Amino acid sequence: MRDFGYVEEGWSGSRREHHIWRRIIGYSSGHILKFVLAVLLSLLVTAATLALPRLMQTGIDNYITVQEMAMEQRFEGLGVVALLYAAMVATVFLAGFLQVVVLERLGQSIMQTIRCDLFSHLLRLDLSFFNRHAVGRLVTRLTNDVQNMYEMFTSVMVTLFNDFLKLFGILLILFLMNFRLALLMSLFVPAAIVITVIFSRLAREQFRAIRRQLARLNGFLQESISGLTVIQLFEGQQASYRKYERLSEEYLNRTLAQIKLFGTFMPLTELMSSVAVALIIWYGGGEIIRRELTLGELVAFLSYMRLFFQPIRELSQKYSIVQSALASAERIFDLLDTREEIRQPALPAAPSESRGAIVFDRVGFGYDREDPVIRSVSLTIRPGETVAVVGSTGAGKSTLINLLLRFYDPQQGRILLDNIDLREYDLQDLRTRVGVIMQDVFILPDTLFANIVLDTGTDRSRVVEIIENTGMVDFVAGLPGGLDTLIGEGNLELSAGEKQLLAFARVLCRDPVVLVLDEATASVDTATENILELAIAASFENRTSLVIAHRLSTIRRADRIVAMDRGRIREQGTHDELMARRGLYSTLVGLDLQAGETAVPEGIDRRGR
Amino acid sequence: MTSSSRQRFNQVSGLIRPGFSRYRNRLLLGFAALIGVDFLQLIIPRLLKIAVDGLAAGRATERTLLVIGLFILLTAVIAAFLRFCWRYLIVGFSRLLERDIRNRIYAHVLTMDRPFLEKHTTGDIMAHVSNDLQAVQMACGIGLVSAFDALVMSTAAICFMLYIDVELTLLALLPMPLLAVSTRILTSRLHHRFNLVQEQFAQLTEFVRSALVSIRLIKAYTMESLQKRDFEKLGKKFVRSNIKVAYVQGLLFPLATLVGHLGMLMVLYFGGRFAIEGKISLGDFVAFVTYLSMLVWPMMAIGWVASLAQRGLTSLNRIQTLLSTVPLLKDPTDTGEDAAPGEPSFRLRNLTFTYPNGTHPALRNISLELRRGVHGITGRTGSGKSTLCKLLVRMYPVDDGTLYFGGRDVNSLPLRTVRDRIGYVGQEAVLFSATVRENIAFARPEAEFEEIVAAARAAVIHDDIISFPHGYETVVGERGVTLSGGQRQRVALARALLSDRPVLIIDDALSALDVETEDEVLRSFTGAGRDRLVLLVSQRIKLLSGTDGVIILEKGEIADRGLHKDLLSRNDFYQIMYAKQSRENAGKEEGAAPAMTAVGRRSGEEDA
Repeated sequence: MRDFGYVEEGWSGSRREHHIWRRIIGYSSGHILKFVLAVLLSLLVTAATLALPRLMQTGIDNYITVQEMAMEQRFEGLGVVALLYAAMVATVFLAGFLQVVVLERLGQSIMQTIRCDLFSHLLRLDLSFFNRHAVGRLVTRLTNDVQNMYEMFTSVMVTLFNDFLKLFGILLILFLMNFRLALLMSLFVPAAIVITVIFSRLAREQFRAIRRQLARLNGFLQESISGLTVIQLFEGQQASYRKYERLSEEYLNRTLAQIKLFGTFMPLTELMSSVAVALIIWYGGGEIIRRELTLGELVAFLSYMRLFFQPIRELSQKYSIVQSALASAERIFDLLDTREEIRQPALPAAPSESRGAIVFDRVGFGYDREDPVIRSVSLTIRPGETVAVVGSTGAGKSTLINLLLRFYDPQQGRILLDNIDLREYDLQDLRTRVGVIMQDVFILPDTLFANIVLDTGTDRSRVVEIIENTGMVDFVAGLPGGLDTLIGEGNLELSAGEKQLLAFARVLCRDPVVLVLDEATASVDTATENILELAIAASFENRTSLVIAHRLSTIRRADRIVAMDRGRIREQGTHDELMARRGLYSTLVGLDLQAGETAVPEGIDRRGR
Repeated sequence: MTSSSRQRFNQVSGLIRPGFSRYRNRLLLGFAALIGVDFLQLIIPRLLKIAVDGLAAGRATERTLLVIGLFILLTAVIAAFLRFCWRYLIVGFSRLLERDIRNRIYAHVLTMDRPFLEKHTTGDIMAHVSNDLQAVQMACGIGLVSAFDALVMSTAAICFMLYIDVELTLLALLPMPLLAVSTRILTSRLHHRFNLVQEQFAQLTEFVRSALVSIRLIKAYTMESLQKRDFEKLGKKFVRSNIKVAYVQGLLFPLATLVGHLGMLMVLYFGGRFAIEGKISLGDFVAFVTYLSMLVWPMMAIGWVASLAQRGLTSLNRIQTLLSTVPLLKDPTDTGEDAAPGEPSFRLRNLTFTYPNGTHPALRNISLELRRGVHGITGRTGSGKSTLCKLLVRMYPVDDGTLYFGGRDVNSLPLRTVRDRIGYVGQEAVLFSATVRENIAFARPEAEFEEIVAAARAAVIHDDIISFPHGYETVVGERGVTLSGGQRQRVALARALLSDRPVLIIDDALSALDVETEDEVLRSFTGAGRDRLVLLVSQRIKLLSGTDGVIILEKGEIADRGLHKDLLSRNDFYQIMYAKQSRENAGKEEGAAPAMTAVGRRSGEEDA
């Protein structure tokens, strides 16, 4: 089922929160320098910010309210304080800016690491994983989820640190100014903590309930769109609409409940802040009367308390960011922890002498264990031999290739290459020894040359040689820029036949011991067809080859033909032998000749798992 | 605002205007509460001034201070209550609006036809309903509140400041234009850089998508390291653009703080001088500082609110575009005499059909009469069998005078009239995440349980259903039991049978059944089907041999038509099919599905 990430639920809580945090922080360990710099800048910003009310207080106490001092002196002193104030303001600005930049760099490089880790991990996972997971969701992991995590990193983790620093600094200053009033004020700390903890518990529950309901709502929508025809044909519009309306109403109710919670919590912090002001006026004012506190200090107290409640006020806004980021982080880590089923051997075999002998030894396999596609297939291919596999859709031909390339491991039996089990080879090494030409090619948006060479480092003269040997000269010459023609998305689009030619050249660059060809079923124009035949002839020479053949010309060229039906080998032999037997093979050939088209039985398997 | 953009705004606002008038009272109350909060918030500095002046003059006593403290407390409590009110009323409004638009989109999607679905992918529509709707909700909720609040607060705070001292107010506000100008410059630059980031994000997404879709090829050609290298390169480019954004964005926020601080600096220096000169009292000075600090937030909010509004408007525009798409397939405006068509029959006259984005016609010059009885249709893939079925059930529009149902041109009949009379089972068995019972009773939710069981028996799925954990109440789909392709097809068939309509169209929908089950199904519904018009698309000779006639399609045209036995003696294609399947049936002791049906089975799997 296609999926676009809209039907995913939130954080499931299957991982402990601190576990996720620890892992996120683990990623930043490679960037200690930036981290330290960010912390230092943070300290600077906090110190300068907290100095501001203090300077204001100095101005009031030392100059503004001091009636006995000379006017000029007072102005002068005020000027000095103002200059200091300006310096602090500039510091806050510059350090603040620097901090944002440093953190951005830090966060971005961490996210880049996670992204690349995740991507290479995905490339390592085997095909059965991709059969089970929708590509849409996997893409979401790499893009939106990483982005979510990043937002949490910059906007939350950092401000959280800043906020703690600030709270601590404020309390320190307050205690220095007036111990008793500060003690009174510090009563707000446990109050704020209690309220925040209660709030975050409730908010988490509601957040999850909302995400769940949204997933349900979007899931229903998605299903309705994909089943729209059925809904319309069976006149189910009204019933579907009513159901959607119900889900939508339920979602509304949950969001309204969330608004109520936020609507209670946010004013509560404001209320606390005002209570603090009232206390400062009442008790602090009393202290002034008792000459324990100056007026400037009272004003400073008021300013500090305002700073004090700011982080708590913003907490609820950050809360939803943290929640969705945790959900994303959890999904990312879950994916990173998925183990591949096709394991690399610890000590890969690397036989120096490679002849290309293949043995399928009683191999059995099914994509779904209960539904075998290949049943007890035994087949020995001698070095240098060309074997063509024929059979109708579902006979298991493509599966043979999938097993030979070790996209999957057989559930019964084993496959040997040069007398060594495929499972003992390094995967990359195996896939270089066994070169495959599929019905489709993955084209990089680059030149034809780059697409042929890929990362083999083959030099140009060798590529030209290959092109000449395979008779592809005409094809290359026909392209506007020859070998340097840009192909791929946004550039020149190759036809099906041309793509297969590219695949030939690509594989021959690697000079594999075994060549596997999944012949294109798509119709190809005669000119390309001729070149293809040449290419096949050239590349099969002196190489063990396994072909899933759809063209009679290819089949005839084979040393041996294997006819498959429903996962079993039914017949083996040369074309003439098999035709004489008048069995499965002759029916297949007869059918297709009579149909007068290419040797493609209807509904050929092109899905290619 | 240019006239075109005003026009666009009017068009777009048409979508939310009904919401605004529908919830007018709620909104008015909400804004009243908001104004109340702002007013009370502005009172507190006045109270502070009284206290500070009293203290400075030595007039204040513990008692007066207590009274002032209590006053502050009282205002705070009322303000807290009002804060709850506006949040619940206004943000709640945005959620109500969201629900209304959401339901409207859904209702609209339900009326759309196949051509629409081919143009708008599921992903598109999902994006409208998720991201766009959220942007609209944000703009109309918290965005609206913030804009209004910023306006009221800043105006009121400036008024109070002016009341204290005009000159000082002007001095304190002196840095403001700096903010306005620099924000403007920065945001225009930000916009440009942000677009780049978005673009690269899309590139990154597309890169990953195309790589993962072709994972098999990448592995086969061992291109993993190349892909990793390219991905890393792309990622680095993305990082660089992000950092460029951060340079601008990182300037914006500290800049707003800077301007606030500069204002404070002016107040400290000049306000301090004024206080020393006795132009203002110390209490005025303190109150002034508080008012100024109240201005900082609205200043910072303006940019944020503007971007919220911009995004909301863009999204609203997109939703509006979606909602204004008109399906190609519509009910006729004038249905004439609304007499239901008589005898269920189809007549096709020179019907030629090309898919909306196709280049060649999928059906060419089809002329055909179909009456009661079981009609078979066969042909190669791509010969137009399914297309024909889809046209008959009115999934795509047809030209006037080419398709008649019950003797009347379908274009003169409401869609419903035709569809109401047809039971359809498509190639892909679409089931919904509901119970098996609900799925079967989809067309007739009021059906008796006995009828449902009867339909399930006729479709030979009853025994399977009984074996499910909760029988007929078993939930199907992602959150429930996964059915096999064959089971899905039979549930879909039971659904069509229960709908009990005079026409039954089965588009190659039995392909995943094994031969025995297929036999049973066939017997059960051809027996009951003789008084209906049954159209059976199939590749199986066995099924076709039991029909009252077979139509062979080839490249969108009728290649042959006749009875099974006649076709067997004269049609090459039919003979080949026959030969192949009798051979396959000879080997059926292994119980696997015949090779030719693998197409259908795969589509069933993809659907799962």
